[in-house]
Amino acid sequence: MNEPVITVRNLRKEYRLRAAQRTLKSSVLGMVRGGAARGRRFVALDDVTFDVFPGETLGIIGANGAGKSTLLSLLTGTVKPTSGSLSVKGALSSLLELGAGFHPDLTGRENVFLYGAIMGIGRRQMRERFDSIVEFAGLEQFIDQPVKHYSSGMYVRLGFAVAVEVNPDILLVDEVLAVGDADFQRKCIRRMGEFRDSGKTMLIISHDLPTIQSISTRILFLDKGGILGIGDPQHMVEEYESLNRLRATRDVRREWGTGEARIAGVRFLDSGGAQVERVAWGSPVTAEVSFSAMKKIDNPVFGFALSDSAGRLIYGNNTQIEGFRIPFIEGEGRIRLVLDGVPMSSGLYLWSFSIHSSDHKVNYHRADNCFPLEVESEKQFEGLCHVPCHWEGLENG
Amino acid sequence: MRGLAYSVWLRRELLLTLVLRNLKIRYKSSVLGFFWSLLTPLCFILIYGFFAGILKFNDGRPRYFEFLVVGIVCWQFFLSCMNDSLHAVTGNVNLIKKTSFPRIVLPLSTVLANMVNFLLTSAVLLAYLLVSGVVPVNFLWLIPALAVQAVLCLGISMLVCAGNVFFRDTEHFVGILSLAWFFVTPVFYPLELQMERLPDGLEWAAFLNPMTGIVCLYRRGWMGHPLPPGAGLLVSAAAACALLAAGLAVFQSTQSRFADEL
Repeated sequence: MNEPVITVRNLRKEYRLRAAQRTLKSSVLGMVRGGAARGRRFVALDDVTFDVFPGETLGIIGANGAGKSTLLSLLTGTVKPTSGSLSVKGALSSLLELGAGFHPDLTGRENVFLYGAIMGIGRRQMRERFDSIVEFAGLEQFIDQPVKHYSSGMYVRLGFAVAVEVNPDILLVDEVLAVGDADFQRKCIRRMGEFRDSGKTMLIISHDLPTIQSISTRILFLDKGGILGIGDPQHMVEEYESLNRLRATRDVRREWGTGEARIAGVRFLDSGGAQVERVAWGSPVTAEVSFSAMKKIDNPVFGFALSDSAGRLIYGNNTQIEGFRIPFIEGEGRIRLVLDGVPMSSGLYLWSFSIHSSDHKVNYHRADNCFPLEVESEKQFEGLCHVPCHWEGLENG
Repeated sequence: MRGLAYSVWLRRELLLTLVLRNLKIRYKSSVLGFFWSLLTPLCFILIYGFFAGILKFNDGRPRYFEFLVVGIVCWQFFLSCMNDSLHAVTGNVNLIKKTSFPRIVLPLSTVLANMVNFLLTSAVLLAYLLVSGVVPVNFLWLIPALAVQAVLCLGISMLVCAGNVFFRDTEHFVGILSLAWFFVTPVFYPLELQMERLPDGLEWAAFLNPMTGIVCLYRRGWMGHPLPPGAGLLVSAAAACALLAAGLAVFQSTQSRFADEL
């Protein structure tokens, strides 16, 4: 591949945390009290390394606070890295915030030229592009009104129109797809598609996963200031979704027990025996439970329960109810739970497994809602679970 | 340093646009608009004239009133630069946080916008002087006056706008400083008053305040006042340059942290 247009190496950005605006008083007090108050830092990005090549559209995804916006700010040059290096080749236009440079008292026309000047475009070039900017924004009637009288939609439309019309080599877009009505969003996405097809480089932040997956050639997945992955858009979006699922289960998961026997892990396997994190409705799935027992335990019972993502119980049973006898367990071992066809509708499901005594008096280990599994369903029905049934016997008049 | 000048030159369109923006915003949504640039100094002169007449403020010297107006006009230029600079950076949070450009165009555009205003005021001043019978034959002295004042204003502007990013106390400090500065500058009293109070051989110390030399240069240019004795003017020019160097050093070393601080 050719030379990268953006090179980022071991990038780190720290912010100092402060309670409020620093004043002379607080900084004098800070000096008197010594370094203790100054030591609190927040690491927004740490050890981030990647390249972007010409013509690429790099999507950036991650939860709030993952460092996405900090990364774009660093690339824009508004903030400086704490350590590490980055280099950008070519004219860069950033849409960190639509209409960021607009002054409320100036008219739309004046602001367009101001924006152009900020982006480094001359007045003459701006004049040539002016009509297409106004047309794209759909603001022909209002362009000589002060922008303080604009609706937020008009404001944003003008901001986007200017930023894409300055025709940079590299376009940075931070979460601008979330604004404007559906019609304008379609226009924006189409415009970004044209931009991409003309061989320019784009970096996009968005929480709109389907859109970013479809428009990006690669996706950078950030979490807590570090890179969790970079690569194939579909794969990265799936990773991100599964991380989200894991986080979502945090509130409902619970583990306890005496510890004499433990559930060491659960793997979900498809019919071919491959490990899966998502399964299709109706297809078979096997949960392979590995356990370890510190001592020999006679007549233990393995239980399982299936809940939706909010922790509501759908179904549960155990080896005792099902009549699967286990004389004893000792050391490391495995046991399988087989579902012939997954009956749930699409969504995230949390599995619980437990090992307890046959009289239910001793819980060796219970791991509630600890094991997520995603179900995809084409099958249409109401509710959480498919109940096998059929219609018949129609009689008319 | 040359790199900095070049980066500003590359963004001269932005500088020009910001200067125009500063000027436009000042008079936006006022009925008389740009005429205020001429009207304000005219009213100032009239008010000063009225009260100076009533209060017999005159210390007996001829042309005291013109003397006062020349001083006030150049002081106003300096003062408004200082006040506008407080918000040159902090009033453009969005620009700083979201866009990238040489930050120095912010103080620079503030000073230039005020300079445009000052030039308009100077036109009113010229008309007034001509009407009252003062012909500025030494007008060439106005050029060094303006040059030294521009250097001073830019230096102060950079110090003030960078300072206000880190310490919002700067605003209050500037208010007090400007009052004190006004009184140590011979605006409404003659330079000789300062000279008499300074020990012999130390008269040049009065010119450590660059505004002292600048006011003398303007009075030379507008009204043909004698130049101050000795190297006073050079001291003032050197002090202005020192402030510019200090301003540049502070501004350039802190500007990369603006976005973090705001």
